[in-house]
This record gives sequence, structure tokens and C-alpha cells, in this order.
Amino acid sequence: MGEEGELAAEKHVRYIVTAEKKKDSFESLVMEHLRASGAYWGLTTLDLLHKLHAVDAAEVVDWIMSCYHPESGGFGGNVGHDPHVLYTLSAVQVLCLFDRLDVLDADKIADCILLQIFNITGLQNEDGSFSGDIWGEVDTRFSYISICTLSLLHRLHKINVDKAVEYIVSCKNLDGGFGAMPGGESHAGQIFCCVGALAITGSLHHIDRDLLGWWLCERQCRDGGLNGRPEKLADVCYSWWVLSSLIIIDRVHWIDKEKLAKFILNCQDKENGGISDRPDNAVDIYHTYFGVAGLSLMEYPGVKPMDPAYALPLDVVNRIFLTKQQ
Amino acid sequence: MESEEAAAAAAQAEEDLLRDFERILHDDPLIDEVGFLHPTQFHSLLVDSTNKSTSQYFWCVDHKLAISSSILPDLYRAARRAHSNATLNPSSSPSASDAALIMTHSKALLILCPDLLTAWNSRKMVLSTNYNLSHLKDELRLCALILSYSPKNESTWSHRRWVIKNLAQHLQDMPELIDKESLLVKDMAEKSKMNYRAWRHRCWLIPYMKTKQVLDELNKSKKWAELHVADNCCFHYRRSLLFALLDGAANREDSLICQSEAYLMWKEELRWNETLIRRYQGRESLWNHRRFLSQWWVQHLLSCEETSPSNESLAELFLSQEIHLLSDCLSAPSDEFGEMCVQAELAALYILWISKQDAAVKGKVEEILQSTGSLKEVLARACPEKSRLWTHLLH
Repeated sequence: MGEEGELAAEKHVRYIVTAEKKKDSFESLVMEHLRASGAYWGLTTLDLLHKLHAVDAAEVVDWIMSCYHPESGGFGGNVGHDPHVLYTLSAVQVLCLFDRLDVLDADKIADCILLQIFNITGLQNEDGSFSGDIWGEVDTRFSYISICTLSLLHRLHKINVDKAVEYIVSCKNLDGGFGAMPGGESHAGQIFCCVGALAITGSLHHIDRDLLGWWLCERQCRDGGLNGRPEKLADVCYSWWVLSSLIIIDRVHWIDKEKLAKFILNCQDKENGGISDRPDNAVDIYHTYFGVAGLSLMEYPGVKPMDPAYALPLDVVNRIFLTKQQ
Repeated sequence: MESEEAAAAAAQAEEDLLRDFERILHDDPLIDEVGFLHPTQFHSLLVDSTNKSTSQYFWCVDHKLAISSSILPDLYRAARRAHSNATLNPSSSPSASDAALIMTHSKALLILCPDLLTAWNSRKMVLSTNYNLSHLKDELRLCALILSYSPKNESTWSHRRWVIKNLAQHLQDMPELIDKESLLVKDMAEKSKMNYRAWRHRCWLIPYMKTKQVLDELNKSKKWAELHVADNCCFHYRRSLLFALLDGAANREDSLICQSEAYLMWKEELRWNETLIRRYQGRESLWNHRRFLSQWWVQHLLSCEETSPSNESLAELFLSQEIHLLSDCLSAPSDEFGEMCVQAELAALYILWISKQDAAVKGKVEEILQSTGSLKEVLARACPEKSRLWTHLLH
């Protein structure tokens, strides 16, 4: 299988399909709360590698729906866990992969994010920011998640988009990047969220493309990998966060893509499958997904193209937006 | 039948472990360190210890708790089960006995797995029923304990902010609380470098600070930054403090500091930053800090010139000093670690940064640069690897 420097696709598929079954170690037990996100990472990777049929769709959809909280309209990270927007987006994305949004009451979920069921005022605050759940922590990640979820459900009109955009713009820094809150330090993950949300809402004119492109492209380290902030080591996950932002603002030609692809391929476990954060470290589902997604953004042969804003395969996004709405 | 009995016995054993664990947590509310030890390590701890151990899986002396990692899966399962049972009837105001059970089990569970939002939420639910200062302070202690071994844990930091927001609504003496918080982040930052979440927490505190506290924080973080010049987070924190200072001075909130003093502090920050740049070669975070400081400073000087024109342009003077710094970095002899090369690259990109601010500044920079060569020549010499970036930016 695969020569030196090639994507070991088959091994990664096997790694993902079998990872599901080892559930008794303490390490897996303490990950159970984010299983919905784990499902999204693993299943999206399978789809990117044209192997989504390796899992039983009906079984996955049933399980996802067992994480649903009908009284609030949100999803928990696993059965018996409280709802949070983080896992609500993961659940919606998984249903998108299987073209099963029909099992959802889209208005109910939109209301969860927006109106009175989740809490008295909904999760959008007066200044346009979003909370992650009823307990009020505010973060630009939650802005992206809410906007992305609502858009996938064709319910973006239900929020005050102008206000939401205004808040995101208030988190912009002098270096062109974005933080978790106004005045928060620029961070590639937060930047992806803000850029993605601005892209979905058609508000990219708020971004100084050269300035942000500059900051993002300085994330490329000498080993070819990308880091998430100045002075940090490269990590495969930023292949996604940085690259998708660069693509959205049309500045991806400013980095050395060949070196980056090599860095990602060097992080593979070529025997047992999976991708790690950096060469020779232990692999996990999260980095496997971000590695493959990063390669997809660089049009790696045999990997489906990915939509940089919705973080789903392009054909899935097209199916949602190009087919006639219900 | 046998396997059912065995399962019942196993469940009972798990519950016994949980009971022991929760008793230890109850008996010593001041535990400030937790370690999960490999069984062999744990065993040698028991052998070495002169104190009598609590059990064969737990050891707690001087507020330090050790747990044998061999029991973690069992302990976790028991805690999950107990917590789920305690929260079976979700109600906005649980009875006193239910509330006590929720607090006991969620504490045990969160020490094992601090990511569990559901467990934190159940605590918030109980704590929200009525305001109790000492309970909220206990909560801060639990968060500090968890952060001591899990300093990047998002849910714990988030819970901590929730507690502080609640305290802020009732507490008269916020400055003292803010001081303690700031100190906590400093300790965390010591142990876990460039910890985004810890520093985010510190930045989040700034709006709660009065000008005096902002000045104190600037002072205190200076020494720390000098010892951690690669930690971009600390420099970002200083930038946020400087902005808060300017805002305070502009709004004349208090008479502690006037605008001209705030400008002087900005100038001093620039001077201090240059000293560090010359002392520690090739540090990205130092040059980043300078980009930010200069950008604002040049705009400030230009606007001063507009309101009170004079023969000597202060902005031009500043730009020539920066070009001088660049020349020094370009002409330094190379070293075996390649730090000088990185320094030259960062210096050249820094000048490009300044020149991008506006057309007038760009003209001035090119004019002053003439003796060294055009900006393009400087960049080609100092950072050929980054040509993809700067060729686009030059146009």
C-alpha cells in the first residue's frame, strides 16, 4: 500500500472504522462527551475518501437522533449529555453527509439557537454575539457554529445577521486576525470561525485580505507545516484552519503548498492508519480528519473537494443549496 | 446467573471506590494538587510514605492527592452513574439533599474528567438557586485545583468566568478578586507556555480593572515578559492593557493618568521592546509587538503633525530610527544557529509592515531607505523564502 509520501487512504479508512470499537480504556471514556464531534470528524473523512458506505447510515442517524433534546432543540455530545451548539452543528453536519436533514425539525433547531425554548432570550445576545448554551459563555466560535447551522437548515433569515456580523467585526485585531472576543489574541482557529461566518453571510468586505493573508501565511513554519499562532510548533490541524481561511480570502498562493502537503503526509501512521499532529506522534481521529481535509483543500488526487466555509464535502453542500428547498 | 452476580459485584466494587474517593474529597476541602500515578509509582509512594495511607488506591497528605491510575476507568464509570442518577429529575430548583448529591458526585467526576460540560452545568444549576459567597469561593478553588493539572481545560476556564460574573454582581471588593485571578493566570502561564485560554482569561479581566490596576498589571507583566520573550500571549496582554489605558485617559475616567502620560508609556514600551529585540535575536513575538506599537505610534505622530505643524517631522525622525534598526539587523555577522538570518528576515518584514500603513509613510520609508537599497532589494536579500508573500504585498 502506498509508496513513501503518498496518502495511505485505505489504512485511514480502516483506522476510522475500527477506532469506534475500542471503547473501554480510560482515554476513550473521557472522550465520550464529544462523540458527536468525533462522528463528524470520522465520517467526513470517510466521505472525503469516497468510503462513507463503510458505515451503516441508518444506525448512525438513529444514534445521532438519540443525542437530540426535543425540549430544547439542541444536541448533546452523546446520549445523556446536555445540549450545546458545538454538538448541534456536528449533528447537523453528520445528517447532511447522509442527506438526512429530513429527520430534523429545522425550525425547532433554529429556535433553539435563536428564540425562547433554549432560554428566555435565545442564544443571540443584544450585541450580536452568540452564547454556546444557556449558561452564557460568549465566543466567536459560537457565532460561526450558529450561523453555519442555521444556513445549512435554510434558516439564516431567523437571526439578526447584521448584528452578528457587527460583533464578529468587533473582534478584529490590528494584525487583521480575529480572537475569541473583542480584544482577544488572534488565533488561527478563531480566524477560521470568523472568516467562515463572514463568508456564509456574504460579508467578506469587512476583511483586509492582504493584512489577514499576511498573518495567515506567516503561520507556515520551516518544516512546511502550519502553526496556529506566532512562535508555536506546526500542527496538522492548522492545515485546515489556516488553509480554508486563505482560500476563502483568495490568498492561498502566498504559501508553499507542496511543502505543506509533504508535512501532512509525514504525519501518517503508514502501518495502522491515522494522522497525528506532527511527525512520529500518536494518531487520533481529530488530526486524521484535519490532515485529509487539508489535502482536500490542496486538491490532492483521490480526495473529494471540501467546501472551506461549511467544512463539508463540496457535493454535500451543493446538494443542500442547489436542490429545491422544502 | 454467574455473570450477573459478577457484574453486580463489579458494580459494587466501583461504588466502594467512589465512596472512598468522595470521602477523601470531603475530609480535605483544601486539596490543591492531584496526581494520577501508574500503579508501580503509586506503590513506591505508599512504601516511602511514613504517613498511613487512606487506602490502597488513594494517598492524600498535606493537601496533595494521588490516585492509582489502575482504578480510573472503574472510578469514572461509578462517578458517571452516580451523577446521572442524581440529576435524573432535572428541575431548576433541586431539593437540598439532591443538590448535595449533585455537588458531591459532579466534583468527583470533574476531577477525573474536567471536559464534562454536563457536570459543570449541574453545578451551575445548583449554585444559581441562591447566591452564596462561600459556595462560589469553593467553586473557584475547585477550578484552580483542576487547572493545576489541566491548565488548558476550556470548560474549567469557562466555568470560572461564570462564577466571577456571579460574584461581580454582589461583591464590593472586585480589585482584590481580580488581583488573585491575575496571579493565578501568571502561575498557570509559568507551567504551560503560551496557554491561549489562560491568557484569554486574563484579557477578559481587563474591563473589570480600574486605571490603577491596569498600571500595576503593566508593571508586573513587564518582568515576566522579559523572561519569556517567545510568549506572544503576554505581549498581546500588554497591548490590551495599553489600549485600556488610552481609553481610560481619553474618557478622563479618573485623574490617575492623563493622555500625555499614556503617550509617554507607549513611547517607553517602544524603547523597551527595541532593547529586547537587540538582546534576543530572531524572536517573532518581539517583532510582532513592535509592528503593533509602531503602527499606532506613526498614526499618532502624523495626526500630531496635522494639528501643530513644525519644521521637524517627528514621524520622519521615528521612521529613520526604525530604518537604522533594520540596517543594524541586516549588517550583523551570521551565527551558527541562524538566529541572525531570522532577525534580518523579521526586520525586513517589519519595515514592509510599516510602509504598508499608508502611501505617505511608504514614500518616506523608500526615501530614507535609499542608502540601503530599495525595499524590494532589502526583502530579496533578507527573506528570499518568503518571496511569494512580499512580491504580492509590494504591488
